[in-house]
Amino acid sequence: MTRATRKVNPARGGRESAKGCKGCWALAGFVMLWAGIAPAADTLEINDAWIREAPPGAPMLAGYLCLDNSADTAVTLVDVDSPAFRHVMMHRTETVDGMARMMHQDEVIVPAGKRVCFEPGGLHLMMPAPEQRLVAGDQVELVLHFADDECRRIKVPVKAP
Amino acid sequence: MPSARALAPFTLVDHHNKPFTQDSLIGQWSFAFFGYTHCPDVCPNALGMLKRVQTLLETAGDTPLPRVLFVSVDPARDTPETLASYISYFHPSFVGLSGEDEELMRVTRQLGILYGRSPGGSDEDYLVDHSATIILLNPEGHFQAVFGMPHDPEKIAADFVAIRNWYEESR
Repeated sequence: MTRATRKVNPARGGRESAKGCKGCWALAGFVMLWAGIAPAADTLEINDAWIREAPPGAPMLAGYLCLDNSADTAVTLVDVDSPAFRHVMMHRTETVDGMARMMHQDEVIVPAGKRVCFEPGGLHLMMPAPEQRLVAGDQVELVLHFADDECRRIKVPVKAP
Repeated sequence: MPSARALAPFTLVDHHNKPFTQDSLIGQWSFAFFGYTHCPDVCPNALGMLKRVQTLLETAGDTPLPRVLFVSVDPARDTPETLASYISYFHPSFVGLSGEDEELMRVTRQLGILYGRSPGGSDEDYLVDHSATIILLNPEGHFQAVFGMPHDPEKIAADFVAIRNWYEESR
């Protein structure tokens, strides 16, 4: 595990999915099912995704979601990006002896048959706030990239908790 | 219950650009949380939790409500103007405080609050590690109690009422 200081590759720009993404399930799932390829879409669910509405002018946003893996093999989330944000980082808040710090996560593993949640005070997505403030009710697209070049495109609501 | 401790002088600035000193604490109970506006998870959680504490107290008729102070540990980026829009979002009564490093240290040192930039990052883009404890200051402006993690609003509200009642009876 490394500290939360990874530099974002400017060449990537964040606007496009830079990782090889062999078709996103939201778009290509049907085709893949038809082709008879065992799709992660059957066994991996992304639930309870939301982005916290932040105060006006707050420079950073946090996003949360749960990954439910009903497969008999682990799934590894390696990256998240979004057309709405310059970049998205995977962080974990760790509180040791009352001291809170954010630790960058290179990957998040969801073991076979398990649920892993990004939730307040723990794992979370961190992204710079876009110029136009996001408010409760807005929807944002996130693209989750998994090991083996799989990816999943989801619509995530902005909520004020 | 351990006795409260008086605070040595300090001068911070509130989000209306007015000085805020140890004397500004006199006259009401205050919860203080130390964080920064670039913090997307811990700080909104804590401030939302303190708003919930106030709501619980208000619903129970336990007024006057303690004030909530958000003290920035990122003086390089958090100006009174930045803090004004940030803190008012949680509740119009919340107060955002900032100050020069030296003044900030005067406050944090006596309250056992630690903070420091995470290694790495750049001058504009960095993270700050910080104590996530909540400090309770009494109406004399003395350091009364600490609430460690995890923060449960029901428990903090109940503890606050117990501490306040004890404080009033012991005077």
